[in-house]
Amino acid sequence: MGELLKTVLHDEHVSLGAAMVYFGGWHMPLQYRTGIVEEHLATRKGAGLFDVSHMGRFIVRGSGALAFLQHVLSNNAAALDAGFAQYTMIPNDHGGALDDAYLYRFTPDEYLLVVNAANREADCRHLFDMLAIFPEAQMEDVSESMAMISLQGPSSRAILQELIGSGGLPEPIKNAIRSASIRGKKVLISRTGYTGEPLGFEFFFAAADAPWLWDLFLEKGAIPVGLGARDTLRLEAGLPLFGHELGKDPAGQEIPIFACPLARFAVSLSPLKGNFVGRGALSVQFAALKKLQDEDYSSSEDLPRRIVPFALCGKGIARAGFRVFKGSEEIGFVTSGTMVPYWKTAGTGLSTRFTGEREMRAIGMMLVDSRIRRDDPVEIEIRGNRVDAVAVPYHLRSDAPPYAMPILQRPAEDREKSLSGAWQEKTFDLLEKAIQNTLWRQTECINLIPSEQTVSPMVRRLTMMDPAFRYAEHRSLRSYYDAEIFYYQGTDFIDRVEVLLKEEMTRYLSCREVEVRVMSGQMANAVVFSGLVDYLNRGDRKTEPRRIRSVLNNHIIRGGHLSAQPMGALYNFVRFDPQTEKPAVVNFPVLQENLYKIDVEATCRIIDESRPELIIFGKSMVLHREPVREIRDFLREQKIEAVILYDMAHVLGLVGPYFQEPFAEGADLVTGSTHKTFFGTQRGIVAGNWREEEKQYALWESVENRTFPGSVSNHHLGTLLGLLMAAYEMNCFRDAYQQAIIRNAKAFARALRDAGLQVAGDPAISFTETHQVIVKVEYARAVEAARRLEESNIICNYQAAPDEEGFTAAGALRLGVQEMTRFGMGPEDFRRLAQYIHDVVAGGRSVREEVTAFRKRFLTMRYCFAEDMFTDLMKKLHRLI
Amino acid sequence: MKKIEEIQLPEELRYSPDHEWVRPEGDLARVGLTDYAQDQLGDIVYVELPAVGIHIAQGAVFATVESVKSVSECFMPLAGEIAAVNGPLSDDPVLLNQSPYGDGWMVMVKPDDPAAVSQLLTAEAYLARLKGGV
Repeated sequence: MGELLKTVLHDEHVSLGAAMVYFGGWHMPLQYRTGIVEEHLATRKGAGLFDVSHMGRFIVRGSGALAFLQHVLSNNAAALDAGFAQYTMIPNDHGGALDDAYLYRFTPDEYLLVVNAANREADCRHLFDMLAIFPEAQMEDVSESMAMISLQGPSSRAILQELIGSGGLPEPIKNAIRSASIRGKKVLISRTGYTGEPLGFEFFFAAADAPWLWDLFLEKGAIPVGLGARDTLRLEAGLPLFGHELGKDPAGQEIPIFACPLARFAVSLSPLKGNFVGRGALSVQFAALKKLQDEDYSSSEDLPRRIVPFALCGKGIARAGFRVFKGSEEIGFVTSGTMVPYWKTAGTGLSTRFTGEREMRAIGMMLVDSRIRRDDPVEIEIRGNRVDAVAVPYHLRSDAPPYAMPILQRPAEDREKSLSGAWQEKTFDLLEKAIQNTLWRQTECINLIPSEQTVSPMVRRLTMMDPAFRYAEHRSLRSYYDAEIFYYQGTDFIDRVEVLLKEEMTRYLSCREVEVRVMSGQMANAVVFSGLVDYLNRGDRKTEPRRIRSVLNNHIIRGGHLSAQPMGALYNFVRFDPQTEKPAVVNFPVLQENLYKIDVEATCRIIDESRPELIIFGKSMVLHREPVREIRDFLREQKIEAVILYDMAHVLGLVGPYFQEPFAEGADLVTGSTHKTFFGTQRGIVAGNWREEEKQYALWESVENRTFPGSVSNHHLGTLLGLLMAAYEMNCFRDAYQQAIIRNAKAFARALRDAGLQVAGDPAISFTETHQVIVKVEYARAVEAARRLEESNIICNYQAAPDEEGFTAAGALRLGVQEMTRFGMGPEDFRRLAQYIHDVVAGGRSVREEVTAFRKRFLTMRYCFAEDMFTDLMKKLHRLI
Repeated sequence: MKKIEEIQLPEELRYSPDHEWVRPEGDLARVGLTDYAQDQLGDIVYVELPAVGIHIAQGAVFATVESVKSVSECFMPLAGEIAAVNGPLSDDPVLLNQSPYGDGWMVMVKPDDPAAVSQLLTAEAYLARLKGGV
């Protein structure tokens, strides 16, 4: 080995009192004064700061850059959009790893490849050798001119937010990257790391700035972390370390890349990659892996052993190299193992919290027979003794930001036992609790969940009538001039109800067609997606139907609802993009200055590039009108054919001049749920506006067909009957109701702001154009705020704002005025309510008694027909229940 | 890590070159790890102690101490029978870091030859060896 290498931060480490060690030719801090355990725990609860400048950094550029990266790396570099990073391997011809690496694409034409310190020279030689085949690609080793540090842990976001200048934080998505400035200096920032922390950032910048940025983060409260805790953190997170879980095993045998669980994310066998290094061997491994998942061991010789996390049950610590047994058979060995600390937790679900107590646990990873599955007991030989251990799926989970939560081996939790008493006792209990619950929500609570609505007494009674127990499947038959044919007798009444409901809904929406049999907004969307696939394939019924080629929708972190996401109702209906190897969905860009509003200009560019077949407007966190008209005009001008669907779930009750008129503005289809701003019952609708002679009427027919028999047979006729009355109410009172909603929402938003709370949106329009108001509380504190509001009988939901990482990190509350408006609350009343909310959220005061008394003023439902006009009929209805 | 001058070395104890200390107590001798050793090891997370009643020769392994990073064996500073072990240390190995000469003691030995203690290093001699870079 040549002379000892020092990073640009070497003197910083020494002056902090670090114990320095030799690592991969570098003189690096093993630990600072407080030691590995403290450093590990500080990262999990606060923020840890790591010098990772010893890692190798290469810039790859030139017209051949992509072809080169596709050839030498295992992942699909063509799938990497500018603004993102990806984990990848540098494979060899045998399907083993020369190294694992991260590829960052900060700008469209330049890639940054980061490799392990110990492999830097070998990687460099290999990559430069390969470069010879790609004369149009250039590679530059910038390891010395560019420094790299990492800030990880729940406090990292706040520390960074305080310092960040232009550019801002990367999007709240794993692997998102952004170029920004910190105190005027240019820094590249990525949401990546080697700790398993859901919040963590890596920074790339001019080497000369390293001591300055390092000290700045320390000043803001980050704790320096050495290689010791870096190793325990990555081990707890289940991340591989080259030389242990990747590369060669101690006997010199190649560890197949697919032995490592992370290989699934790091290897792409996309045709776009051509014949890259190791492709053949990796394809064989992948085929074996897929069989193993089905417990088919016929190809297990292609992947005989896999890396599996284990927890030690008995005493001791299992170290790398220790032998692993299953019964008398030796099945593998430990690749990494030690004792790691963790913060103990108390509480369950969203109330889970760190107690402040700490504990240690012996964990590790092992390379063992592929037949070993999770929860399998094994034994590990520790200094001659066999000690019990168990294969576990993971030691840590990162899906509840801002914290990484330790996952321990523990017995199944005790569920609340149901009453074991007599039926009489159980019945009494259930009746009593249902009464209590209804009285509480209907007479003591202020209900502000924007997706809910109480139905009028008349609707409620109708919903309980005889149709609730009946079936009424029907479809139209061409032989009878498209007459609706029912399969059962006794259906004349419900047939009539459905016809009348369609009439009311077409009148309400100003459109030609409405399908009312879907039972929810989510089903309405699924029916449209399924109908569109049916329509797209109408010319060819003999081959595998193709899916929707490309979809434009609202991203879930920008308020999009899961029913319009690939993970939701789009799941079966959108194509996988072979380039990105993900569902072919692009998202509406939003305005930088207002993340709640679609950027129309940028949207037009995206439509031009991605040519979506389906454009889905609509959100569940919605403050603004959707730019339906602007996008329709653009499509018309550019002669682009795309179906515009407006999912009006939240705003179905606002259709009209005070909000928006979807069909007049150019929507092709509208879906919605009937129980948010609309007057209930809980169902969905699909609406269309094509004439029978139009080509796309066939799409409408597909929608009907995918409703019945595609999605429903019986469709809950009680709520259908109730919905007809609700539609009468809506068509009768819509003007007054819709104006009241908008007036109340704006007054509520202003009052919340005046009370001292931070209200999201544009103050120039009083923050909202819908029934919703978004209040920002503190980052990751909204769950608690919503719980405290519930204790004060104010029911709302916590909501992740567009710049937050997920619902557990939610810092906002979502409030809707629709239900309480129906119970007669006006602007003055919402101002009073704003004060109550402020008292709870900012003042930490319970207002339960005041709120209970306040609610008593709003018990009579408005915007429905006065019962005294129908006294006798209402009494009869009531008796029939 | 501590500088040499920060290392605690009580004058009344005897030391082995392998970083164990010995304190004669009547017929018995108490044995533990020195402040220097615990500091070098860092966070001690596991201690394996011998069974009471067994005889261990001088220089033989009598215990294993593990930190997050490493496994270290402890060598018997004087031959004898294990009369007692520090039970709480197994549940709370960090005692060894916090109080190497107190609650972090490891075993009590009944020495074969009580006079053998005097052949071990004095604090001064042990310190000299540390400074010599052992």
